Amino acid sequence: MTAERFRVWVSTVLIVGVGVSAALVTAGFVSGLIVGWTGSLVGAAPGTAAPTDFSAMLAGLGALRPIALAQAGLLVLVATPVIRVAVSLVAFVLERDRLYAAVTAAVLGLLLLSLLVVR
Amino acid sequence: MPLGADLGIFVISLGAGLVGALAGVGGGLFVVPALTLAFGVDIHLAIGASIVSVIATSSGSAAAYVRDRMTDLHIGMFLELATTTGAIGGALLASVVAPDFLFILLGLVLLASGGLQLVRLADQPAAAVAASPLAVRLRLFGSYPDRNEGRTVAYAAQRIPLGFVLMGLAGLMSGLLGIGSGALKVLAMDAAMGLPIKVSSATSNFMIGVTAAASAGIYLSRGDVDPRIAAPVALGVLGGAVVGARILPHLSNGAVRRIFVPVLVLIGLQTLARGLGLL
Repeated sequence: MTAERFRVWVSTVLIVGVGVSAALVTAGFVSGLIVGWTGSLVGAAPGTAAPTDFSAMLAGLGALRPIALAQAGLLVLVATPVIRVAVSLVAFVLERDRLYAAVTAAVLGLLLLSLLVVR
Repeated sequence: MPLGADLGIFVISLGAGLVGALAGVGGGLFVVPALTLAFGVDIHLAIGASIVSVIATSSGSAAAYVRDRMTDLHIGMFLELATTTGAIGGALLASVVAPDFLFILLGLVLLASGGLQLVRLADQPAAAVAASPLAVRLRLFGSYPDRNEGRTVAYAAQRIPLGFVLMGLAGLMSGLLGIGSGALKVLAMDAAMGLPIKVSSATSNFMIGVTAAASAGIYLSRGDVDPRIAAPVALGVLGGAVVGARILPHLSNGAVRRIFVPVLVLIGLQTLARGLGLL
């Protein structure tokens, strides 16, 4: 892979990530103004999960709850730099750039540690 | 939460993003004072919302710089080792220190940012230097196309250990206060590592998102990212930054300083006063 193509990949990940996130967060915010944050766009009973509880997101998305749409958008936003680093790791491996494959793997490890392990 | 509060947070975040873009400091610096001082939002929830919005603004502008070959991907990745480690430490520290301490520190950062605007770094291409053995080994050198100069400018990182330590500090402040720490990152690369200012700015922007994501993960799992606050903040700051970037080329540097240095100082003093219990 050429360096140019690497840059295009990285830049595309960033643009698509922010775009998808902004669309989901906008949908959540606007629909939240209409039916309330814990309401439902398909008329389901109000949700009972805490707004900060992201583990309730999938169930909330099923009921089209504004809070779950916003949560999904925020998760995509936090995941965007992580995906950017993962794409960089693949690129460095394909380039057989061992040093930077190792550096990038370490950064990815730190990011996953912060998302999954640390409380 | 009443409807007015949701829209109010959106509008004040729009203002924070706009002022941040015009003042050249990023929206994060204004979001936390605005939310805590004007809306009485808990400082940890304000920081959680701010750090997420920092990812949105930095990723948007980083995308353009990466294509322009201004961003040094090697230097960025290498220094992200320091910023993400610092950010994780900062996010963990934020939950154990007193909120007053966070207000005082944020107030000082605002005042320091105002001071930095007055001695803004000259946009001069760094003198070409020979790469040190460490820079060669870590491949922290390169070149970028300078449109103003009409030529390709070569550079090599100097004082790498000092730059690495400063980047760790920038990450710590980012994780602790929910800010991008862009000014400190640029300072570390430009003043300490002797990199051209354009490469420093672009690479700093590139690193801010990853640094913020490291602490955002911790704020998220701790329950400090409340979508009712973080959603309008992210949309507002992003919108304000986009509008600000369009207005900025039409303003003179002098006008920007006359308007925004007093704003930074005023908000810095208010935040400091809140931390010291005077407000």
